[in-house]
Amino acid sequence: MSQQVLWEVVKGNNAFLVKRNGLTLSTDPFNNTGVQTYSSTGFISKNAVGVVPTSGKVNQINNINLVAKKSTKFQQVDRKAKNTQSVYASTLAVKHGVHTASRVIRKRFGTSRVGLQKAALRKLVKLNRANSVRRRNELAAAKAQKK
Amino acid sequence: MTSVPLVSVFSADDSSKVTAKHIPLPAVFQTPIRPDIVSFVHTNIAKNRRQAHAVNPQAGMQHSAESWGTGRAVARIPRVSGSGTHRSGQAAFGNQCRKGRMSLPIKVWRRWHRRVNIKQKRHAAATAVAATGIVPLVLARGHRISQVPQIPLVVEDKIESYEKTTDALNFLKRFGAFEDVQKVVSTKVVRAGISKQRGKKYRVRKGPLVVYFNENAKLLKAFRNVPGVEVVNVTRLNLLQLAPGGQLGRFVIWTQSAFAHLDKLFGTYRYSSIIKDGYQLLRPLITNPDLARIINSNQVQEKVQPAKTTKVLHEVQKKNPLKNTKAMDRLNPYAKKQRAAAAAAIKANTKGTKKIKKNKALKKASRAAYNKVAASLNDATKAAVQEEQDIKVKYFSVQKGAAQTE
Repeated sequence: MSQQVLWEVVKGNNAFLVKRNGLTLSTDPFNNTGVQTYSSTGFISKNAVGVVPTSGKVNQINNINLVAKKSTKFQQVDRKAKNTQSVYASTLAVKHGVHTASRVIRKRFGTSRVGLQKAALRKLVKLNRANSVRRRNELAAAKAQKK
Repeated sequence: MTSVPLVSVFSADDSSKVTAKHIPLPAVFQTPIRPDIVSFVHTNIAKNRRQAHAVNPQAGMQHSAESWGTGRAVARIPRVSGSGTHRSGQAAFGNQCRKGRMSLPIKVWRRWHRRVNIKQKRHAAATAVAATGIVPLVLARGHRISQVPQIPLVVEDKIESYEKTTDALNFLKRFGAFEDVQKVVSTKVVRAGISKQRGKKYRVRKGPLVVYFNENAKLLKAFRNVPGVEVVNVTRLNLLQLAPGGQLGRFVIWTQSAFAHLDKLFGTYRYSSIIKDGYQLLRPLITNPDLARIINSNQVQEKVQPAKTTKVLHEVQKKNPLKNTKAMDRLNPYAKKQRAAAAAAIKANTKGTKKIKKNKALKKASRAAYNKVAASLNDATKAAVQEEQDIKVKYFSVQKGAAQTE
């Protein structure tokens, strides 16, 4: 379905829309900027990558998931796929560090949509930093408990 | 559309099994999405379930109140007649008065219901059905469909014979629809306002809509106690259920026969509807609504003029070329050379010119004179300080060492 048409339906009201303090924000998992705008609203686009934090154990390197939007002709889940699939997204856990994840993002966008690409990368970096801080704290706490 | 999108029918018992692999999508799902028609029809149709109510016509008017007129130093509003009670002489009848009747009291004969043209209602229903097949719209409506295997979700007719709620629940769990039901359960809230005392205590979200075909189906009883789930027959599809609140994109679970019936119900682009007499599906104004693709297509890009670059005609702030060398150079490229030549000439002449020599000599002389004066001043101050010390030592018998501190 065309992104333009969907936007006309969805821009006024949707489940991800949050209006606060005069700001129009979005909790859309495919939106990496947080602000609801036509280009950043990923769930209506054909290809988008959402960088999503997950709650995971301390031992995980990154508690981040990349949620890639699917554009299939008929909206069916591909059972043979390796990563977690849903009707609208394929989820890829970031296991091997930020660099590999960023390559996934870059490959997805190629040379187009630089703004979106940068937004995704920016969010990836921020989440990664937050994760490392959290990991450090949790490890320190665990160590202190051991003692 | 050159290629008709295909849909699989799932087995009721096992969500990984597909009983019918590729069924073409009914034409309704290709209908253009028209939120304007839907919202118009919805706002009107939503009024049709209203029950007449009114205010007691005598409310606030059961007095023999009369205005006291002018000259009594009170407002001219009608006042309650009689005496012996607080109420006497108080204002009555007006909407602004305490215990007065409301302005424009509601009458029972208010126009509660709205009729909408049949065609509009049918178009709205068709659009709403189409929207249930579009994943982003279902997501935007807020349904939890991350575990659902396919949208639109079509299941074999076996579910129509479910009688037990457990069967229904297990079915929903198998097909990932239970997440939506859980959303409904967890977001059940006590309603704000007086309605809670009027039989509408809770505000409950909408969950999946199950659409069946056979009239003898027992699944209504199985599904009716599951929170949020609604059950409806295809022949009686309701816009208020397909687009609750006027918002497109309800999560719908179709049975196979219901799904197959849609073509007869709404017709296709090849034949008009068999059941809805003379109804023809709406045709889109643009067959290809993907503007980005159209603009970037070869056919358009060939004809289009090259993109205009923003050409800066002049700088935003004016620079004075007489003071700003770069601005001067921009206007007169030779100015740079001129300046260099002038500087060179000056340098060449510097050593020989009389005036410069004279100035230098004068400078030297004045510096010498200044130094002389400064030196004499220095000596004078030194002498004065010394003299002060001597006096202190001589007359105030202050020790030579201590004299410094005072």
